[in-house]
Amino acid sequence: MKLLNKNILGLLSIIFFLSSYDALSQEAQKGDLNVSISYFINNNKIPYLLAKVKTKVDGKFKPVNAIPLNLFLDKDSAGTLIAKVVTNEKGEATAIIPASLKNQWSSSIKHTFLASFDGNKNYESAKADLTVGKAKILIDTTSDRKITATVFEMKDTSWTPVKGVELKIAVRRLDADLSVNETASFTTDSTGQATADFKRDSIPGDEKGNIILVAKIEDNDQYGNLLVEQTVPWGSKFIPVNNFDRRTLFATRDKTPIWLLFMAYSIVITVWGILISLVISIFKIKKIGEEIQA
Amino acid sequence: MENLNSTANEKIIQDLLPQKFGKSGKIWTGILVAFCLVGLFAYYRQLRYGLVVTSMRDYVSWGIYISNFVFFVAISLVGSLITAVFRLADVHWSTPLTRIAEIIAVAAIIFASLIIIVDMGSPERFYNLFIHGRLQSPIIWDVIVITTYFFISILLLYFPLLPDIQILIKYKEKSSKRLQKFYSFIGSFWKGTPAQFKLSEKAINILCITIIPVAFSIHTVTSWLFATTYRPGWDSTNFGAYFISGAFLVGAGGVVVAMYVFRKAYHLEKYITADHFEKMGRIVVLLALLYLYFNVNEYLVPAFKMKKSEEAHLNGLFTGEFAPLFWFAISVGMLIPIIILLFKKGRRPLPVFIAGIMVVVGAWFKRYLIVTPTLLHPFLPMTNVPDSYRHYFPSWEEWAIALGSLAGAMLVITILSRIFPIIPIQETITERHETAE
Repeated sequence: MKLLNKNILGLLSIIFFLSSYDALSQEAQKGDLNVSISYFINNNKIPYLLAKVKTKVDGKFKPVNAIPLNLFLDKDSAGTLIAKVVTNEKGEATAIIPASLKNQWSSSIKHTFLASFDGNKNYESAKADLTVGKAKILIDTTSDRKITATVFEMKDTSWTPVKGVELKIAVRRLDADLSVNETASFTTDSTGQATADFKRDSIPGDEKGNIILVAKIEDNDQYGNLLVEQTVPWGSKFIPVNNFDRRTLFATRDKTPIWLLFMAYSIVITVWGILISLVISIFKIKKIGEEIQA
Repeated sequence: MENLNSTANEKIIQDLLPQKFGKSGKIWTGILVAFCLVGLFAYYRQLRYGLVVTSMRDYVSWGIYISNFVFFVAISLVGSLITAVFRLADVHWSTPLTRIAEIIAVAAIIFASLIIIVDMGSPERFYNLFIHGRLQSPIIWDVIVITTYFFISILLLYFPLLPDIQILIKYKEKSSKRLQKFYSFIGSFWKGTPAQFKLSEKAINILCITIIPVAFSIHTVTSWLFATTYRPGWDSTNFGAYFISGAFLVGAGGVVVAMYVFRKAYHLEKYITADHFEKMGRIVVLLALLYLYFNVNEYLVPAFKMKKSEEAHLNGLFTGEFAPLFWFAISVGMLIPIIILLFKKGRRPLPVFIAGIMVVVGAWFKRYLIVTPTLLHPFLPMTNVPDSYRHYFPSWEEWAIALGSLAGAMLVITILSRIFPIIPIQETITERHETAE
């Protein structure tokens, strides 16, 4: 019996030790983060970076909130800091290239962006980098509704047309961009140009019929994400139907429907007219009585 | 012959002049005043601490105040039924009942207006109705129509009173100096000339014609406060007619109760006879059957379809938490009075009085059942509300204010019956003469 007790005690000790070891080891294990950077420039103006942070949970990538990142231009030093950012609930953070780095930005036709996370109690430190060359798109339209997008890259000190760049030419809509014709994407020729015919004639524009054309390069390994817009009066005029300011049953008091005003006032005036005439009758009765008394 | 007539007239006048309160009258008035004072104290607490002293929350925002309001509006319709409809139909037996009906109508409409202000919480909010009110809103229609009905009811009480005021002034010894001053102020100019009678008769006829559509409007509009709101139990095109039929029933029930009480208190057996109870009993049973018919429509048809969104509301009424009250209101407010009044023996004064009380009590709870259970079952349930919000039982302040308002209405009826003859004297004399001829 004593031997049995000893064995059970020993077994329990081993189970306890193993379970506590496992618990400790789980506590010490930190998650790995996947950091990525994307480069954007819209309408050839101020470039900005979009950093994304993900982690793998049950075999699937999920965004990670509240991760502080340091973004640098070309090298990891205090003088080249673009911004310190923190990811949102989508695991994303954005930062524009600040004016303080203008000289460094102008000094080269290619730049490398660095993103670093120093690590915390939950995640290991992580880094990412992205190298892009300076590029731009110009968009032009003709009266016969042809759209020409030209892609240039910076070579030495001048903008040079680039051949073989895939881009999209589309119309900006509310949720997404709609291709201007049945071709989904275009490739630039030796002059750096891609031309598309506009075939969305009946597409609704704003009140003047204006629509916004876009030419964009997406996730290009050399140039990142570039986008340029141009407004053209090629859409159909949109006449908004707004009941907000009309005379309706659900409008404000100064917008009461005329028929309701007419009905209500007619009834009120008729009934109260009768009542006032009855009050006048009281005074007539009173007058008769006073005349007799006199 | 003339001497005989003057003796008979004198007898009628002596019988029908307002009488001072006896011991029981004083006790009755004291009880009503006590209820009113408790109600006023509860209202003071509501003004001081806000509507939080009530049990009304996000779900039930209309509780017994609005039930009470609908009840008062309903009972006020009796003025148009007894006075206007019967007068236009040339029904003479109802003459002794007209003043009772008019007084009930005035008292009820006064307290309908007051209770709606109580429901607003702070009374100054009433002012907002005028500066921000929209003519598209049924609430504004209700304000307009209640004001109009109140004014018509006052006129309908006042015009037939003028000949009686002349009699009251003549019999100075029967009333105090203060009352005499009041009588002189409101009607000393009445000399009973043919020209005055002609003007008065014309005015009463116009009032009787005008009050019927206004009375229908007041209760139809009150029903639209509910029916224009998309909610289970209220989303009905039948609500106007349903409310009006219910209003006529409770009004007629109120009149038979008042008839019995005044008959006993002022010994008016010669004027309010068993025949009046017989006839009013028939009217009440007809109206109860009509209201029952509308109730069958209002509940049976939705229950037959049993839409998912209305299921909880209907089951709550038929078999759920409101079932005892629902079946009480249906049986006490309609079925039992119908059974009593269908039989000739049931149309004697006492059974009619009992049936009348049942109708009035049943009608009050019926209004509660129309207002509150619906609010507990909205189409879109609210989220993150405390569990207590999903149930409603009025706080003591609400009970005190509601009972105080009911006592207040009865106090107004009591005071008016002390000041004015409860049976029109001049009309009774005229009719007795016409019958004798």
